Amino acid sequence: MTASNEELGLKDRLNLIETMISEGRRTTESWGWTFVFWGVAYYIAIAWTAIYHWPWAWLVTMAGAWVLYSAIIRSKQKNKPERRPGTTIGRAIFAIWISMGVSLSLLLPALGFSDRFNQHIFVAIVAAMLGVANGASGMIIRWKAQIASAFVWWAATVAACFGSDDQCTVVFLVAIFLCQIVFGVYAMNCEARLRKQQEANHV
Amino acid sequence: MSELPELNPVIHGKLRLALLSLLVGVEEAEFTWLRSKTGSTDGNLGAQIAKLEEAGYVSVEKKFVQRKPQTLYRMTEAGRAALSEYIQALKKLLGGAIGA
Repeated sequence: MTASNEELGLKDRLNLIETMISEGRRTTESWGWTFVFWGVAYYIAIAWTAIYHWPWAWLVTMAGAWVLYSAIIRSKQKNKPERRPGTTIGRAIFAIWISMGVSLSLLLPALGFSDRFNQHIFVAIVAAMLGVANGASGMIIRWKAQIASAFVWWAATVAACFGSDDQCTVVFLVAIFLCQIVFGVYAMNCEARLRKQQEANHV
Repeated sequence: MSELPELNPVIHGKLRLALLSLLVGVEEAEFTWLRSKTGSTDGNLGAQIAKLEEAGYVSVEKKFVQRKPQTLYRMTEAGRAALSEYIQALKKLLGGAIGA
């Protein structure tokens, strides 16, 4: 092997290392749909509460949504030819969202049972928790769109502490639309673009 | 003239280098994922992983998940250190050519 050929081989190896490291770290999981899914679930719970004034509407809707969500995740995993390996970043983000879910599912029913619950507190708590989860996830993966979504939730937290019940409801509906539906659809578009790019790289 | 570093022969193989580079970015990986990322055959992949395992660069865990066998591979600390040394040696050998 000549010197330049040898150099080419070594350069090739350096490129191989870079490509493989980025392949391993690249996330191809699709999570955009989960934002839309939970956004729709929030809307169903809000509509149910507004129309029938049933105090258990939120609890029942969230429990039903969780069962359906788990079933979808399980079926998606079953249909995959190979399981994506876990990364530390993935585990950190998973931990944040699970912890947020557990906190909300303990705190909100406890406030309800102790009769210390009102609409403003409810919206402020949910918005603050979602702000924390989106903010932390966005900072970990350095995704500006998700950090922006966290700022919308934090603004909703502050706004929920002021104004009338109707204004509070409007704030919540707008925040859900922006941070769950719009952001979810945007995330799905980004994921689809990334998948196309990966497919093109493999050809 | 300074002495040129030697490249670790266990890591220098293209597939073994690809495997270690993939494993460095994840906590653990299944055989099927490694196969799809490297595009290698079962036989070749198994043989190269065995060499990395023999060198102490990769650890293997076999278990059953929902009654299906699953083989997980993890990079060991020795593997991490060896890959890091290999990259340093590679950069030293290439010298100024890297930026070209």
